[in-house]
Amino acid sequence: MGLAVYIGKRLVRLVLSLIAVSILTFTLLQLAPGNFADLQRVNSGATNFGGVGTESMVGELETRYGADVPVWKQYLIFMKGAVVWDFGPSYKYASRNVQDIIAEAFPVSATLALLAVLLALLIAVPVGVFAALRQNSKTDHGTMFVVTLGHALPSYLSAAFMILLFSATLKLLPSGGWNGPKDLILPVLALSLGPAAVLARYVRSSMLETLREEYVTAAIAKGGPRRTVIVRHALRNSLIPLVTVAGPLLAALMTGTVFVEALLRIPGLGLYFANAAASRDMPLLMGTALFFALILMVTNLAVDLIYRFLDPRIRTVGGVSDDGH
Amino acid sequence: MNDEALLSVRDLRTTFGSSLTAVDGVSFDVRRGQALAIVGESGSGKSVTMRSVMGILPRTARITGGQAYFGGRDLLAIGDKELRKIRGREIAMVFQSAMEAMNPTLTLERQLTEHLIWHGLCNKAEARKRAVRALGDVGIPDPEKRIRTYPFQLSGGMRQRAMIAMAMVTEPDLLIADEPTTAVDVTVQRQILDLLKGLKDRGTGVIMITHDLGVARYFCDDAVVMYAGRVVERAPMASLLDDPRHPYTVGLLGSSVEVGGRELALRPIPGSPPDLSRRPVGCAFHPRCPRAELPRCQTEQEILTIGPDRDAACWKVTVDA
Ligand SMILES: Nc1ncnc2c1ncn2[C@@H]1O[C@H](COP(=O)(O)OP(=O)(O)O)[C@@H](O)[C@H]1O
Ligand code: SF4
Ligand SMILES: [Mg+2]
Repeated sequence: MGLAVYIGKRLVRLVLSLIAVSILTFTLLQLAPGNFADLQRVNSGATNFGGVGTESMVGELETRYGADVPVWKQYLIFMKGAVVWDFGPSYKYASRNVQDIIAEAFPVSATLALLAVLLALLIAVPVGVFAALRQNSKTDHGTMFVVTLGHALPSYLSAAFMILLFSATLKLLPSGGWNGPKDLILPVLALSLGPAAVLARYVRSSMLETLREEYVTAAIAKGGPRRTVIVRHALRNSLIPLVTVAGPLLAALMTGTVFVEALLRIPGLGLYFANAAASRDMPLLMGTALFFALILMVTNLAVDLIYRFLDPRIRTVGGVSDDGH
Repeated sequence: MNDEALLSVRDLRTTFGSSLTAVDGVSFDVRRGQALAIVGESGSGKSVTMRSVMGILPRTARITGGQAYFGGRDLLAIGDKELRKIRGREIAMVFQSAMEAMNPTLTLERQLTEHLIWHGLCNKAEARKRAVRALGDVGIPDPEKRIRTYPFQLSGGMRQRAMIAMAMVTEPDLLIADEPTTAVDVTVQRQILDLLKGLKDRGTGVIMITHDLGVARYFCDDAVVMYAGRVVERAPMASLLDDPRHPYTVGLLGSSVEVGGRELALRPIPGSPPDLSRRPVGCAFHPRCPRAELPRCQTEQEILTIGPDRDAACWKVTVDA
C-alpha cells in the first residue's frame, strides 16, 4: 500500500470523525439546560440575538437559527456552511463570523503552543538524558523530584506565581495583554513547565530503556566514543517515540488554554471557547469544537507520518510500505 | 604468560553488587590464529568473562582482580581511552542475535563504516568500499544494494552474516563470538560456523563462546570449560572430546549433538546451575555430580595439571589417572 493510499484512508476517516463530532456536539447542545436567549435574559434583560451586532448580522441569525427554524434544519444549515468554512455569525459576538474569530484567535494560541512545546522539549531532552545517564544517583533523584513538582503544578498557578514575581514585584514583564513579544514570555513559561516535566520523565525512561539495548553495547564494543554512541545510537532511538507524546501535547495547547489565556488576558481560542460554552453560543461552540477535532486529528496524522519517517521499521513493514522492500 | 598467546587472561574476577561473584579466578590463553572455545551452561559466566576483557560490562559490575594481556598491554589496567582504541579495531565482537546487536534505525552502511571512521582507519568513501567488500566476503549477495538496507530487512541468516561483516571490516586480530549460533536455525548455524572457521584459517584468533560442545568441536583448537564462574577443565579440543575428565565436561558431552548430525538421545545433566549468590561450598558442581563424594567435594578444588596442556579442578580426576 502506497503512502498516498495510506494518507487517503486517513483523510476519509478524518471526515467521518468530524461528522460524528458535529452531530454529537450539536445534540449535546440541544440537551444542555438553558440556551443563549435565556442566558442573555437572565444576565442583561435582552431577549434577542446578539449583544452588539449590525442589523444585517442579527437578521441573518434569525433566519438561520430563529425560534421557528426546526432543530434538524438548524444543524443542516450550520453544516452546509461549515463544509465551505462558513460557520455563520456568533450569537455572543454578533458582529463577527465564527470563522473570523477562529482565524484571529487560533494564531495566538498556536504561537503560544508551539513556543511552549519547543521550550518544553529544550528543557526536557537534556534533563531527561542527564538523569538517565546518572540513573539512581542523587542527581537523578533530585532532578526527578523537581520534575514531579513541575508536573504537579497547574499552569495557571505557575502563571499566577510568575505574574506576582516578574511583573508585580520585579516589574520586569507586563502582567498580561497581547501587544508585543514581551507578552509571550510569561504565558510560554507557564505553559511549558507542565509539558517539560511530562516530556523529561518520558525522555529519561525511554533513554534508560535504549541504553540497555544490546546495540548500544555493541556500538561501544566497536570502539565508539561514549558521546557519539549516546547521541547516535541511544538518544536518536529514544527520541523517536517522543513524537507520540509531543504531538498530542502540542494539539492540546493549540486549541487554547482557558486559564492561562484568561489570567493573562490573551485573546486565544481557549478564551473564546470558554465564553461560547458559558453563553451557549451554538455557532461559536460548534465551530470551535469542529476546529479542535480537526486540529487533533491532523496532529495525529502528522505524528504518524513523522514517526514513519523517523523509524524505518514502520516505514517499510506493517502494511504501509511505500518503497517496496 | 605464554609467548605465542594473543590474549592471556589471568585470575579474572568480576562481581555484581557485594555478594555475587560471576567470574571467579578465570585464566586462559588464546593463541594467534587459533580458536578457543569457552563452554558451559547458561549462567556459568562466559559472557561476563569476555565483557570484562572488552570493558563493556553493565554499570553494576566490577572487575575486582586479574589481568588480560593483549599485545603486551593489560586491557584491565590501561583505562577506557586506550581500551577504546583496541575495541572494535584489534578485538571485535559478534553477539548472539544480530537483531538485537544491530541498531534497527541505522542502515548497514552506517553501522559497517562508523568504526572505520572512529578508529581513523580510512575516509568515508574508502570505508564504504571496505564495508561492501566485507558484506560480499560473508556471502551476502548484491552487497552494493544491500548496504543501503536496514538490519530488519534481511533474513535472520543474512543479518547474522552482516553482523560478522561488521566485526570483520576492521580486520581485527581477535574475534570474540558470544553464542553466535544460538538464535539461528540449524542450516544457518552451519553457515555461520563455516564463516568463522574461514576467518580462523586466514589467521584471525577466535574465541567461541557456546553452551554447546557440538558447536565448539566444529573448528576450535582448544577448550575451556566453565562452571559457576570458574574454569573446571582446560584442554586441547581433541583430547577433551576423546577423553573428557571433569565430571561436568563428561555431562556436557553427553548432552551435546554434533553440528549437522542427527538428533541423538540427549542426556542433559540433571538439575540446574547454582544461583551464584548462593554458591555451593567447595566444588560448586557437587549437588549435581554423579561422582560426588562428601565431604571431600565440599572443599575447594584447585586446578590441577592432569596431562600435557591439560588441567582440571576435581580431585577425583587425578586419583583415577
Ligand atoms: N546484569 C547482571 N546483573 C547481575 N548479575 C548478572 C548480570 N549479568 C550476569 N550476571 C550474573 O553472572 C552470571 C553469569 O552470567 P553470564 O556471563 O551472562 O553467563 P553465560 O555463561 O550464560 O554467558 C549469571 O548467572 C548472573 O548471576
Ligand atoms: S570435585 Fe567432586 S563434585 Fe566436583 S566434579 Fe569432582 S567429583 Fe564431582
Ligand atoms: Mg552468555
